[in-house]
Amino acid sequence: MERMEIKLTVNGRNHTLSVRPDRTLLEILREELNLIGTKKGCDDSNCGVCTVLMDGLAVKSCTILIPQANGHSITTIEGLEKEESLHPLQQSFIDHFAVQCGFCTPGMILTAKAILDENPTATEEDIREGLHGNICRCIGYKKVVESIEAVRDGKYKESCGEV
Amino acid sequence: MEGLIGKGELRIDAYDKVTGKGLFASDYGNQFPNLAHMKALRSPYAHALIKKLDISKASALDGVIYIMTGYEPGLDWDQFPKASIIAKDETLWAGQIVALVCAETLEIAERAVELIEVEFEKLPAVLDYYAAIDPNAASVIDPEYETRPLGFSDRPGDRASNRVSPNVVGEFKMHAGDVPSAMEEAEIIVEGEFWTGKKTASPMECANAICRYDSDGGITMWSNGAGVHGVIKQGICRILKIKESMVRIIQPYMGGSFGSRLNPYVEVITALMCLRTKKTVSFQFNREEVFTGAPSNWPCITKVKLGAKKDGTIIVNDYYLAEEIGACVNNTFFSGRLSSSGAVPVYRFPNLRMDTCAVATNTVPAAEYRGLGCPEGEFGIECLVNQLADELGMSPVEIRMKNIIDKGERDAFGELITSIGLKECLQSVADAIKVEEMPDQDAGAWKKGRGCAVGGKQNTPLGRSEAEVWYNSDGSIQLFISCDENGMGATTALAQIAAHEFQVPISEVKVTKGDTAITPYDNYSASSRTTYNTGNAVILACEEAISKLKIEVARVYGLHPSKVEIKGRKAILVGSHVQEVDIPSLFAPTSMFTQGNWGLQKGTPVIGHGLFCPAPIHQWDENGLSDRVWNWFQYSAAAVEVAVNEETGQVKVLKIASSADTGNPINPKLVEGQIEGGIHMAIGFSINEEHVFDGNGKIANANLSDYRLPTILDMPTNENVHAFINPDPLPDGPYGAKGMAESITIPVGPAIAHAIYKAVGVRVTGYPMTAERILALINEKKAKEAAK
Repeated sequence: MERMEIKLTVNGRNHTLSVRPDRTLLEILREELNLIGTKKGCDDSNCGVCTVLMDGLAVKSCTILIPQANGHSITTIEGLEKEESLHPLQQSFIDHFAVQCGFCTPGMILTAKAILDENPTATEEDIREGLHGNICRCIGYKKVVESIEAVRDGKYKESCGEV
Repeated sequence: MEGLIGKGELRIDAYDKVTGKGLFASDYGNQFPNLAHMKALRSPYAHALIKKLDISKASALDGVIYIMTGYEPGLDWDQFPKASIIAKDETLWAGQIVALVCAETLEIAERAVELIEVEFEKLPAVLDYYAAIDPNAASVIDPEYETRPLGFSDRPGDRASNRVSPNVVGEFKMHAGDVPSAMEEAEIIVEGEFWTGKKTASPMECANAICRYDSDGGITMWSNGAGVHGVIKQGICRILKIKESMVRIIQPYMGGSFGSRLNPYVEVITALMCLRTKKTVSFQFNREEVFTGAPSNWPCITKVKLGAKKDGTIIVNDYYLAEEIGACVNNTFFSGRLSSSGAVPVYRFPNLRMDTCAVATNTVPAAEYRGLGCPEGEFGIECLVNQLADELGMSPVEIRMKNIIDKGERDAFGELITSIGLKECLQSVADAIKVEEMPDQDAGAWKKGRGCAVGGKQNTPLGRSEAEVWYNSDGSIQLFISCDENGMGATTALAQIAAHEFQVPISEVKVTKGDTAITPYDNYSASSRTTYNTGNAVILACEEAISKLKIEVARVYGLHPSKVEIKGRKAILVGSHVQEVDIPSLFAPTSMFTQGNWGLQKGTPVIGHGLFCPAPIHQWDENGLSDRVWNWFQYSAAAVEVAVNEETGQVKVLKIASSADTGNPINPKLVEGQIEGGIHMAIGFSINEEHVFDGNGKIANANLSDYRLPTILDMPTNENVHAFINPDPLPDGPYGAKGMAESITIPVGPAIAHAIYKAVGVRVTGYPMTAERILALINEKKAKEAAK
């Protein structure tokens, strides 16, 4: 299959890649850009560990073919921490013990960011609705919701703005 | 400073995990530019003869490095982990490997799999216990079998031919008291037969391993398997006959296990491919293979008969259990003894008879899953205790308070119960859900009910754990351990223990973990033993380092070591001209002319080593009795409120409370996380999760859209999820702690079953309690009522 040119902005940096169009965004992020904080748990968008933000919206990168991402702006978990300062959601997940094995955590945090970016006053019900495509196997979901609510309620310094 | 035990210290690995910086085994591929990839051709049939297997076209494909089949020379497949045995002549389950390709890229490997020419002839298959136990069933793994002695007399059998099913492959019996006489004495008897579904633990990270071929002919492996020393390294050395010095196993962060990665079904075969090809190879299971090619749990069938007095005192339990173990050839592991173990330490059964066995089927070989068969084995008992309470007009709490074993008593095996906080656990969850009161109902289709149950799980003494601790010359501390960190937080709890012993903040302790070339021996993390086993080893290591440090400090000041107390960087001296000293200042700087000095030297840590090994079991007598069958017991209680849709059969858990008797928790916040996670795992397998088979005996729902793991919408809202800790200190545990992660999952299913009964009046006899099944029960009940 012939390669094609793909332009991506990932975590604020522009990339021009020459890749085969049958590859997924997940594969490109992990294998070409070494952004391995984005995980792979299934191949059919059912587990959510590969969630990234595309133009601010949470998407499952395992089912985005790379041409679909052409020209778009991607945020991965690596893009949230700034100059030794964690994103409020990252700090809140730590403080609320919302992490166990941690494999679902990057996807959870990015989905949470999309939820709060879209609706800064999201209720528990809104959060549940937004998170139901992200499966966690270890911690349950209670502490995840608590972490997100703490950020929503302004308990962390920075607002949960666009990165 | 105040001690750290019982404090909710933050996880030491959380930063790595929220930033994506922490490496999991599946993240290591990028480090090897010439990584070779493995891909399996798997059987599409549960039971079939391999009529033709031609790999010539596949082998000729450019980039194919090696193709392994069941005919690979020089191997004893019987020694391999059962899920990794490559089929030879005959496949025993749909998903068994028929050929394993190694190629330069994954795409080439996948293409080569397609080019392998294989023809099967389907054979009759047995897919569940009921098919397998038939006296004249197709034989899964023992075609030579004709008859067995009627040792299995209580089991289904054809008495005329003296024949029982050839698929019965292990047994265990015990008899305490006199069950037949006690059954005569009983004033009320309840009995039933109970089943449970086949499930996959489904950690979020799929099984994987990368094995590097080292220049000296040795191997280095990164995998998300458990037990770097006791499972993986031991397994590879024993099965592949490679020197221990030539095998190094590294466990990065693990994306979950729940017991399922205690079986090295990826690691041994990957190491073999690495050695055969002399290449660095990667074997990454996809999600489908996690269902079809990785071990499932073992479902249990139980037949339980309880006899009681009218006052609710249970006097007898006659108990049959069968473990359905899949295509486990050469079974030595399964006998029913593990799954039935939960029947013993919870209630005071003065008369208990257990007759248990293992049954093979043409499904994926079973292996460990959180709880080791106890959730399945205790389901029927808990259901019947609830039924007994209903029939006697008692509350499910009251009947349990009457029958739960008290500390200091002996259980039916004859074991002394040294720690049990179960009554307190039960009371706390019953109060939170108000389980003895009826919820308000409305006229709609959703009917509400409340229920509760309890559970107990043994800890098996599983050998040694070691730990090493370094007190560095600048006062910083390093801990070296090899226990698994499946995600439960063990490394944080163990760092907390070390910090507590040295009286420093946890941030002063750096943990190095899970590398057989660096970290000391630990068998593996199983049976909820890590806090207890490795925790005791960490204390011992700290004590040794502190004792050595005291001697060194005492020498400097001319004191007996007992006059020295170590508090982090400080030593407090009694009876000296100096009251307090900064310990790092005592480490002499090294120079060209001071090399080789004895005593404390800059750059040289004071090292402590700890080794802990629980006492082994005592072999049971001819009645299956012994005063030490297991080590200690963890307990949990659960109470739920559910809503059942009378028209669809759908079950929703509206409220849940769970409590753990964890002994003194080292870190209650981590325990809370394990409780909440355990609840959600148990709700999943109680209501949704099970393997469904197609006409070829293949799992038809081997993906995460059809095998439904619980999402956040399957859980009650936050205010309706309650986690309690009701500790009864374990005398031999570190600071009185014991493990807890498995017991949480035991009582959730039977509590839901009883709540369903309270809601719509049907008695469930198995799980998962899917809408389809509940609706069938509701319709059956309606039909019966109409017939009256």
